[in-house]
Amino acid sequence: MAKTVSFLLVDDDADDTSLFKEVLEEVNPSVVFNSAEDGHQALHYLKKDGGTLPDIIFLDLNMPRMSGKECLTEIKRDEKLHDIPVIMYTTSSQSKDIEETMQKGAICFITKPTNLNDLKSILSSISGNVHSNLQKTLRVLSDTANTFIVC
Amino acid sequence: MILIVDDKQENLFSLKALLQLNLYDADTADSGEVALKKILRNEYELIILDVQMPGIDGYEVAEIITGYSKSKDIPIIFLSAVNIDKRFIAKGYTSGGVDYVTKPFDPDLLLLKIKTFSKLYRQTKELNDIKDNLEQKVEERTAELKQLNIHLEASNSQLQQYAFIASHDLQEPLRKIVTFTRILKERFSEKVPEANEYMSRIIASSERMRTLISDLLDYSRIEMDRKFVLADLNKIVSQSLTDLEIIISEKNAEVVVEQLCPIEAIPEQMAQVFQNLISNALKFSKQDVTPVLRISAELIKEKTIESKLSANGKYCRIKVTDNGIGFDEIYLDKIFGMFQRLHSKAEYSGTGIGLSITKKIIENHSGLISANSKENEGSAFIIILPVKQATT
Repeated sequence: MAKTVSFLLVDDDADDTSLFKEVLEEVNPSVVFNSAEDGHQALHYLKKDGGTLPDIIFLDLNMPRMSGKECLTEIKRDEKLHDIPVIMYTTSSQSKDIEETMQKGAICFITKPTNLNDLKSILSSISGNVHSNLQKTLRVLSDTANTFIVC
Repeated sequence: MILIVDDKQENLFSLKALLQLNLYDADTADSGEVALKKILRNEYELIILDVQMPGIDGYEVAEIITGYSKSKDIPIIFLSAVNIDKRFIAKGYTSGGVDYVTKPFDPDLLLLKIKTFSKLYRQTKELNDIKDNLEQKVEERTAELKQLNIHLEASNSQLQQYAFIASHDLQEPLRKIVTFTRILKERFSEKVPEANEYMSRIIASSERMRTLISDLLDYSRIEMDRKFVLADLNKIVSQSLTDLEIIISEKNAEVVVEQLCPIEAIPEQMAQVFQNLISNALKFSKQDVTPVLRISAELIKEKTIESKLSANGKYCRIKVTDNGIGFDEIYLDKIFGMFQRLHSKAEYSGTGIGLSITKKIIENHSGLISANSKENEGSAFIIILPVKQATT
């Protein structure tokens, strides 16, 4: 049996978080889902002793207290965390944000889709490929999805 | 007031009496030192100066007086009984005197001289006061304008920040309107078919607003970015053509791109310029005619739309011409304005921001943009850009 996949979504937007969870559970009911409301909460969760680490992190950019960029820097700085793939998940589609976060070590930059089907296909391909070549899968997806995906 | 300087009390007395008799205010000093002190303290319109005095003599007093900025314009009349030789008189003039009167003098003539010189002094002083006043006013105004300008620049950049933040934050709720309406449509439109059409309209309107906001965002961002590099315009144009591939093949358009001059530019912004101009040309193409676009460039002598060609010119003229529906040139000023459209939304889609973004980008590059067109005869958009950006 395949290993269960665990997702961490870091986003202060409750609507987006519930939608994300709903879609994720629909496309892959076996996925373990956790969420944090900002960078601080996320880091606290990730650095807590004895906790299992997520297989993938979705990170919003614009959050109170600690922004996505700051949180990304912290994750990449931490020996225990820096191998977890981080996908930026945000409203922005600015080249400045994309360049900066990719440089800091994010593997992909996804603009939050307005179409549920896009979110479905994104989450189902990710949850099925977390341990294989994720970037490649998402790149293929970026050609067909209506939303903005850079890998 | 007139100052009389003489070391002999009887001379002071008689001259003072003469002046007072003729209604002049007169003051006296019995040495050069006293005179200098008084000049620093008081305002005089004329000085009558004895040449030969113990201590500082008249010439020295005159030189010192003309050296002070406060007293340099006060006319000095030398009065001497002893030094009447031509060389003394000459020295009097070179040390700063306006006249040199020898004793014995004719009181009437002296009075006339006094009258003339003090009148001249008053007029000069008045003129100088007016000049100083004017200079001060100009300085004040300049300072005020500078202050205003600083203020204006600050509020301008603040406004841009606001526009940027506002349009960014506006996208967030709008995205949710679209997302949730889509969910509604997907899950309930079968149960409530009448609602389907309304939900489609909500989505279409929201999508249109998203385009508007993202265009505004682009517009407000133009001046924030000022990273100029030597840009290969051909590469930029071919990237824009790739981005527009679908519409180009849909319209079956023919695009001819000539050799373009490399210039110092912000590549992303120039890409947006070409994208806007090419997609406009395609959008406003004639229905039954194959759209033909031509993009060309040439080096020109000066920064004018009509400038002559010049092989080593400092400016580059880029033309994007099409055989589309064109427009009446009376609207030329209008088309580059924000939210300006010449057609209804039903005829041609668009936010009316594209060309104003284009214009702002060109201005951000210190360039010019204009167009030539006639209704039904295609358009040519002309851009003038400096080959090198001025270093600031």
